[in-house]
Amino acid sequence: MSVRLEGSVIRLEGECRAEDAEPLLSLLQEEAGRVVDLTSAVRLHTAVIQVLLALRPPLAGPAGDPFLARWLAPLLAATPPG
Amino acid sequence: MSDLLEQFLIEGRELAQQATEDLLALEHDPADEARLAGAFRAVHTLKGSVAVFGFQPMERTLHAAEDLLDAIRAGHLAVGREVINPLLDCIGTSEAWIEAIAHTGRLPDDAPACGRRLEEALQVPLGVDAASSPTRPAAPDPAWLPDLAMAEAPAIAKAQAAGRRVTALRYVPVPDCFFLGDDPMALIRSVPELIALRLRQREPWPEGMIDPFTCNLVIELLSTAEEEAVRQVFRFVSDQVDTTTLTTPSPVLPVPPEEPARGDPVGTTGRSLRVDTVRIDALLDLVGELIVAKNGLGHLIAQMGEAEPRLARALGESQAEIGALAEAMHRTVLGVRMTPLARTFRRLPRLVREAASGLGKAAALDIRGEAVEADKAIVDGLFDPLLHLLRNALDHGIEAPAARTEAGKPVTGRITLEARSEGGGVAVEVTDDGRGIDPARIRRAAKERRLMPEAAIDALDDAAAIQLIFQPGFSTASAVTALSGRGVGMDAVRTAVEGLGGKVSLASRPGAGSTVRLLLPQGASVTTVLLVRMGTEVFGVPMEAIAETARIPAAGILPLRQGEAFVLRDRTVPLVRLPALLDRPAGPRGDIAQVLVIGAGAERIGVEVDGFAGRTDVLLRPLAGLLSGMPGLLGTALLGDGQVLMVLDLPELIG
Repeated sequence: MSVRLEGSVIRLEGECRAEDAEPLLSLLQEEAGRVVDLTSAVRLHTAVIQVLLALRPPLAGPAGDPFLARWLAPLLAATPPG
Repeated sequence: MSDLLEQFLIEGRELAQQATEDLLALEHDPADEARLAGAFRAVHTLKGSVAVFGFQPMERTLHAAEDLLDAIRAGHLAVGREVINPLLDCIGTSEAWIEAIAHTGRLPDDAPACGRRLEEALQVPLGVDAASSPTRPAAPDPAWLPDLAMAEAPAIAKAQAAGRRVTALRYVPVPDCFFLGDDPMALIRSVPELIALRLRQREPWPEGMIDPFTCNLVIELLSTAEEEAVRQVFRFVSDQVDTTTLTTPSPVLPVPPEEPARGDPVGTTGRSLRVDTVRIDALLDLVGELIVAKNGLGHLIAQMGEAEPRLARALGESQAEIGALAEAMHRTVLGVRMTPLARTFRRLPRLVREAASGLGKAAALDIRGEAVEADKAIVDGLFDPLLHLLRNALDHGIEAPAARTEAGKPVTGRITLEARSEGGGVAVEVTDDGRGIDPARIRRAAKERRLMPEAAIDALDDAAAIQLIFQPGFSTASAVTALSGRGVGMDAVRTAVEGLGGKVSLASRPGAGSTVRLLLPQGASVTTVLLVRMGTEVFGVPMEAIAETARIPAAGILPLRQGEAFVLRDRTVPLVRLPALLDRPAGPRGDIAQVLVIGAGAERIGVEVDGFAGRTDVLLRPLAGLLSGMPGLLGTALLGDGQVLMVLDLPELIG
């Protein structure tokens, strides 16, 4: 299980694959304000990143994966243009 | 050869084919934007993969072709022969270069010069245009670059201050890429020396309607690695990426042409697996081994039968089941080799168009039945003979426009290439509506070339006389043309078709046209052989080689000079004995001689064997190792009982 809900925190754990995008999307849409915790995520599939980019939920970190922390987390945290 | 290069060769051929088809369709219907986009994409992708391997003349030529297509897309140029011709030349040469790379690993020596000529020809239409529009830079910077360069100016400035060149890349994954198993971000992770990354939605999602299975992203990045090295990461999605090397520190760049269209359905390949035929053949060999192993089990079961009858029976049932499965597997693997004829047919229209314009004739090629399937070896082997037949039809069949008008025919000649499944085989016919073949002319030419005694030529009826054009050394072209008069005649077609296990025949009506008909087996790998006995040994002879079998009373065999002969339907046929052909001592002859007759007409010859042992389908394996190069032997085959059968080439043995 790579997407897990704990209280109001959604934890992404280990390797998140394309099929994890849908449960993540449902959890985020179910209740506004849920935080996504990237601490133990290793690799996020593009489909998962796309959901985060579209909804821009608050993120809890720091991300455990260096690529995620260096390149993706800043992009996902930034305010959407426009 | 590296896997990567192999992949390039496969894809390169497909892309060149795709570009050719799109260009031909575009010439037909200049308003077809999907075809224009398809041609552009194919050329663009091909150029991208060529760049990865550094085949520079080819890359430059394709780049020029891409520029020309781009100008058409932008509406600066209209589609016409003057643009289609250099584009087709470029693609045709690229195809030849791909084959050269396949054989030698590099481009031919004349590639730089040849590429420059093509490049110039591709620039002619653009040059005319350049007079009326602002000059275009050789390689315009893409439209997306200024934005990216502006946003990432600090990273670029830092890299350039450190003396590094910066590569920019834009990657727009196709919307269904997740289904195709792509993970674009995994590719981004592999980009060397990443210095900036931008990620945004390609289109805004409709309110509350996010589809997690559709990729809706545009990814842009900068790297200090070389452009080639960055492209290398994206080699399997090279049609979805656009790259450039930043040249000036200034992010202010000229307004470039529109970005390529993406994701349109023309030419998208099916979701299939590419497998090298060598692997399929290896699989086929394994199935053969499996059958042998199963047969070995049979012997053990027989030995065990007396001691343990019940166990032996149960094992026998198992063995039969394994046998049935092995056979099913054998059929399935052979089926995998089946390929639609389209693979060969599709390469022909461009070549026919070229040939027609070279001869100053107008001809339309109509292709039917390209979905008919045959073994890959046959489909590939048909290319040369078909090309020859089509060129022949254009050169000798279709009349010059003036002559056609005089004969009351439409100016445009019609050539039909049609394939049909026919009785377990494949029939391929090339029909033209040209002048047809005059039997009297054929007879005259045959006599001049002394192909047969004059009396024999006169004895042939018209239908038989025109088949003489398949004889070696026959050519009736009164003027040798550049096209089909290069010393290879229809006998080359016959030899090629017979090599595939097929037959060729010709029908013609003077004034109305001709039809050449090829009848081919569907599966090349399976050969039906007649098993013949010689003493205690059994040999195979391909059924295709045998005209008939006959039982001749020993009393009917007559001495003829040094040899023997017999009379078959009032014609004397020479007789040889199989042991003599194989340099073995012959046994005594019984009351009745078993004879198989090979060849046709005056070439008929009888081969006496000790007996026939039925016929069987075998998988003919070419000779390898010690046996290779052994004359008179076609190959070996495994029989159902695991024995190795030698398959004889009787025509060669007789010599």
